Amino acid sequence: MIRIRDLIHDFLLRDDEGNVNGTVRAIDDVSLDVAPGQFIAILGHNGSGKSTLAKHLNALLFPTEGEVWVDGMDTRQEDKLWEIRRRAGMVFQNPDNQIIGQIVEEDVGFGPENMGLPTEKIWKRVDEGLDAVDMQKHRLKSPNRLSGGQKQRVSIAGVIAMHPHCIILDEPTAMLDPSGRREVLAAAHRLHDEEGITIILITHYMEEVIGADHIFVMDRGKVAMQGTPREIFAQVEQLQALGLTVPQVTLLGHMLREQGLELPEAVLTADELAEKLGAIYEHSH
Amino acid sequence: MFNSITLGQYYQTDSVLHRLDPRIKVVATFLYLVSLFVANSVAGYLVSALFLAAMIALSNVPVRYILRGMKTIALLLVITMLFNLFLTPGDVLFQLGPLKASKEGLILACKMGVRLSMLILGSSLMTLTTTPTRLTDAMETLMRPLRRFRVPVHEIAMMMSIALRFIPILMEETDKIMKAQIARGADFEDRNIMKRIRSMVPLLVPLFISAFRRANDLALAMEARCYRGGDGRTKMKPLKYEGRDHAAYAVLFGYLALCIALRFVKGMLPGFLGI
Ligand SMILES: Nc1ncnc2c1ncn2[C@@H]1O[C@H](COP(=O)(O)OP(=O)(O)OP(=O)(O)O)[C@@H](O)[C@H]1O
Ligand SMILES: [Mg+2]
Repeated sequence: MIRIRDLIHDFLLRDDEGNVNGTVRAIDDVSLDVAPGQFIAILGHNGSGKSTLAKHLNALLFPTEGEVWVDGMDTRQEDKLWEIRRRAGMVFQNPDNQIIGQIVEEDVGFGPENMGLPTEKIWKRVDEGLDAVDMQKHRLKSPNRLSGGQKQRVSIAGVIAMHPHCIILDEPTAMLDPSGRREVLAAAHRLHDEEGITIILITHYMEEVIGADHIFVMDRGKVAMQGTPREIFAQVEQLQALGLTVPQVTLLGHMLREQGLELPEAVLTADELAEKLGAIYEHSH
Repeated sequence: MFNSITLGQYYQTDSVLHRLDPRIKVVATFLYLVSLFVANSVAGYLVSALFLAAMIALSNVPVRYILRGMKTIALLLVITMLFNLFLTPGDVLFQLGPLKASKEGLILACKMGVRLSMLILGSSLMTLTTTPTRLTDAMETLMRPLRRFRVPVHEIAMMMSIALRFIPILMEETDKIMKAQIARGADFEDRNIMKRIRSMVPLLVPLFISAFRRANDLALAMEARCYRGGDGRTKMKPLKYEGRDHAAYAVLFGYLALCIALRFVKGMLPGFLGI
């Protein structure tokens, strides 16, 4: 699905006259693969290069060095640009700044309109998109009347309507309240489980990545760690060194383990911890 | 503070006027403006007023709602009329200090007042019964011939609809920033105009910065969804004329013909009708 090889991205810094007076290396020699149908999470603190990486997957940015392949297409092939953007859809952080239409259904239709589909097809795609995120009943509303979570679901519907193979969500929950966050995550998981769409979820909330197949942790433009959630969550000290807040259950499990309790290396949920502690308690009595 | 502006804001209901193709409503509003200048007699204005009243009745928009919007521009109307009344030379009717009101001025002022109010009512009726989206669609289609002269018609329409989408967001933001500044002691109500203007600066700067950031984000989001200008783009809701639209065009041209006819017989009209 996605293949990144030795990717380097430098941003040019300009002074007031517009002359280049330096560069910032936002991505520093990253290689990674994503197989079709995977649920991938990318973690990293502010400025670690997550958004820059995401924009490479959608051909919004191009490699300074190295290569990015999406579905066998090199993002630097100009004639494939629109096909790449269609196949790798993107949802951004700020729900207000990515909705173009003045009513929900028109926004969902924006992508299919750009693709030049005939009118009846556009309506079908809009229906599909709205159904996929359970927003049919809001289709005639103004986006301004929706909650943050609903707005992000509209954005996801707009991407779905373009029939993507992969959806990249760049901190889609950063500006939402807890219930909005749950809504958006649930929508992403459902698309992955039911439609088999590859999901790449970028976030800095560790709680959100528990359900992922594979996690990449970025730091200063490099992939600092990678593995399954369990493998990653077991390395509490390293995560903290990278500026990530480890979920409290995991932290508690880690501390109890250090105190000598026989717990697994990583505890992901409160239920799991309760169950393991229960077993230890039974055992000792 | 912005909620008071109701002039011409879309009023959601169902009516023949709401269902008409937006293009005919744009054309009709323009021709109505023309007709107000063509008529130029009491008889003509009566016909125009009747036509407008019929349209308002057809629109299902409460008259009270329409008139409330008029309040916003009442002052402008009065000033225009006063200018006409006092600045037109002719037979003096009465005098207020150095200002002389003339008979010709009175007639002109009345005509101007009637014309302007009907024009404003007519055009707000268009926006009251048409969603902004359909209105921009109509503008885009009607202006399409201008593309030959390299007018970026699609881009203008896109800009209009994006502006319409972001105005409420930016207004809300202005409100928020204003409250934050008031909490820090800013005074937007000061009697002193200079002070008031100065207090606007810390309001405008963050507003502009945020507007540019939004524009940047939006451009990126549009590109990510394969937006590449108007070429090769299709429409989810294309405009299509139907039976009622043809009928509406017939009514419109009938009305216009009547106005033109009235102009030619103006001198022959009995009594005050010909003024
Ligand atoms: N347009 C740009 N011009 C110059 N430097 C940039 C630009 N965009 C990003 N950078 C720099 O590149 C680095 C990586 O930024 P990026 O936005 O990818 O980080 P991020 O991990 O997405 O952070 P966040 O969590 O804040 O979204 C940062 O040091 C940032 O300052
Ligand atoms: Mg980012």
